[in-house]
Amino acid sequence: MDRSAQPAVSNGAQVRLRKLSKTYGGLAAVDGISFDVPAGAFVSLLGPSGSGKTTTLNLIAGFLTPDLGDILIDERSVADVPPHKRNIGMVFQSYSLFPHMTVADNVGFPLRMRSKLNRQAAQKRIAEMLALVQLSHLGARYPRQLSGGQQQRVAMARALVSAPRLLLMDEPLGALDKKLREQMQAEIKRIHRSVGTTVVYVTHDQSEALTMSDLVVVMHRGRVAQIGTPRALYESPADAFVADFIGDSNLLAVSIVEAGREGCVVKTRGGTAIGTLPASFATMGARAFLLIRPEDMSVQLQSTAQADGSEQLTGVITELSFHGDVFKLAVAAGDDVLKAKVAREQGGSLELGRQVVLNWRRDAARLLPPASGEAGIEAVTS
Amino acid sequence: MTALAEYAAAPARRSILARPHVIPALLLLPCLAWIAFFFLVPLGLMCWRSFAAGGLQDYPALFSSPLYAKVMLTTVKAAILATALALLLAYPVAYVLTMSSGLRRGLILALVFIPYWVDIIVRSFSWLIMLGDHGLINKLLIDLGIVRAPLELLYNAFSVLVAMVQILLPLTIVILFGAMLRIDRTLVAAAKIHGASGWQAFRTVFFPLSLPGVYGAGLLVFVLSLGFYVTPALLGSPRQTMIAQTIMVEASDLLDWGQASAAGFVLLVITTTIAAIYNRYFSLDRLWGGSEP
Repeated sequence: MDRSAQPAVSNGAQVRLRKLSKTYGGLAAVDGISFDVPAGAFVSLLGPSGSGKTTTLNLIAGFLTPDLGDILIDERSVADVPPHKRNIGMVFQSYSLFPHMTVADNVGFPLRMRSKLNRQAAQKRIAEMLALVQLSHLGARYPRQLSGGQQQRVAMARALVSAPRLLLMDEPLGALDKKLREQMQAEIKRIHRSVGTTVVYVTHDQSEALTMSDLVVVMHRGRVAQIGTPRALYESPADAFVADFIGDSNLLAVSIVEAGREGCVVKTRGGTAIGTLPASFATMGARAFLLIRPEDMSVQLQSTAQADGSEQLTGVITELSFHGDVFKLAVAAGDDVLKAKVAREQGGSLELGRQVVLNWRRDAARLLPPASGEAGIEAVTS
Repeated sequence: MTALAEYAAAPARRSILARPHVIPALLLLPCLAWIAFFFLVPLGLMCWRSFAAGGLQDYPALFSSPLYAKVMLTTVKAAILATALALLLAYPVAYVLTMSSGLRRGLILALVFIPYWVDIIVRSFSWLIMLGDHGLINKLLIDLGIVRAPLELLYNAFSVLVAMVQILLPLTIVILFGAMLRIDRTLVAAAKIHGASGWQAFRTVFFPLSLPGVYGAGLLVFVLSLGFYVTPALLGSPRQTMIAQTIMVEASDLLDWGQASAAGFVLLVITTTIAAIYNRYFSLDRLWGGSEP
């Protein structure tokens, strides 16, 4: 994994989760998860609602006590450390600014609680933080006099003012509109780079996780489905759940009809055989999913001689939409519907109902097992 | 015509009910009529009667007689003390209620409400049994050898205060509980993760945010205490009568309805004035940092 972007001396804490479990009324919200957050890294916990990501964050914060397992911050167990002694900063989903305090008092709160800074030094530090989030002029206002984006920045300043080695963020941009959200993503990354603290960031928005993170932990039903860099997750998803959750994907349900040492051959539901794919888990007759990313698919109007190392399927265009830079289309081929993208200048002759041939390079396709908790770990370590 | 178009076109030929404000007004009407007939009309009558006997002749007595000044002072003093004590005792109970859930919360609420359902006269009488010379408390103190002669616990300001607070407590607890429930608990979590211990989080975040509720409960309980009649009549000293008793004596014993009306009217004015001043200094807006002057 590429860690070269990290500063040599880190201001961030290292966090290790060890077989962490939390059960509510017989239902495991978090089910024996283990992963490491490297010092100074920006790590996202990504998953659909109910996947256990917020529970995990609250366990790290100390708001919840694990039923099993342990959390190590900088190699020390925090099992017996209450939240206020963990030296963590946190940005909440609803910002949770104190409504009865001014912006400056909100930002200064951790200083008053934690450090014995004298009044002058504290004032200076608050001014620094307000400058960092570009709100120097609003220190005397009350939170409810600010816009959502401004409140978000105040929450960031408050979380970082006492220079915590770990910053937790719980869907901090969920309440903002799309444009502001993208602006704040860049802002958060800028601040992360300048302070170097470790960030654990919870989100259900896969594009947010991909663009911001050094590492993404994909969670599914209280377990870790896969851990990896955004690129690794996109290019080598461990299973069909991860592939479906991250990015646009075509997932064809297939069965394995031939499994040999150099790969296997699968058959789609429509009966088309698709050839030799590498797959470690493959056994004859097993059900699997074939992943082809839409952008790896080329669309041709006529069947051409099949190039070496490529595969093709013939189908009919059932949906067609223009997105500015690309056309997006859905093609029905047998019982499957595949998504494809075509650059604007090549989409002139596309129309609904037209027969087309979908082509892809054999090595762009991947054979994946259905969703499973454990297969994910292997893919990360390999 | 589609259903939507039909709906959109309908108001033009629908009844008066379709006009805005008509339905809210109809819903308010029964209650308004009730209040008008049983509250506003008697109030108007009382006001009119206080002037009827000959202009302002009933008023000078109120302000010149040392009796009224003394009664009013006793009343306000008792009300302030009862309010403060009720708030002090109710706050921790309301806090525990807020922090607990499920069965525990239900159980505490039941314990708070059971005395509330007992009649106010019964509750006042029960203190006679507790506080009398041969009452439970004096008996206990004598048996334990702490005092030799029974303490004078009854028919004084103390017994009135104790009974008033007991009567006011359920209401105070419920108002405070309601206010505390509205406090966003993630704010307390935010305080804790940023370095505040449990006590510090309470002192710097929860308590200040609960103050609007405290002020609101305080005002309501204070105004209620000003009008206490049964409790001071049963448990108080005749030398420390409260204003409601005085008005009652004038109306039913002395049959001086003009004087009673005037006293009632003055009490109303004083109460309203206190409420207005109070509201100005403890208005919610100021507390939340809204419209600072």
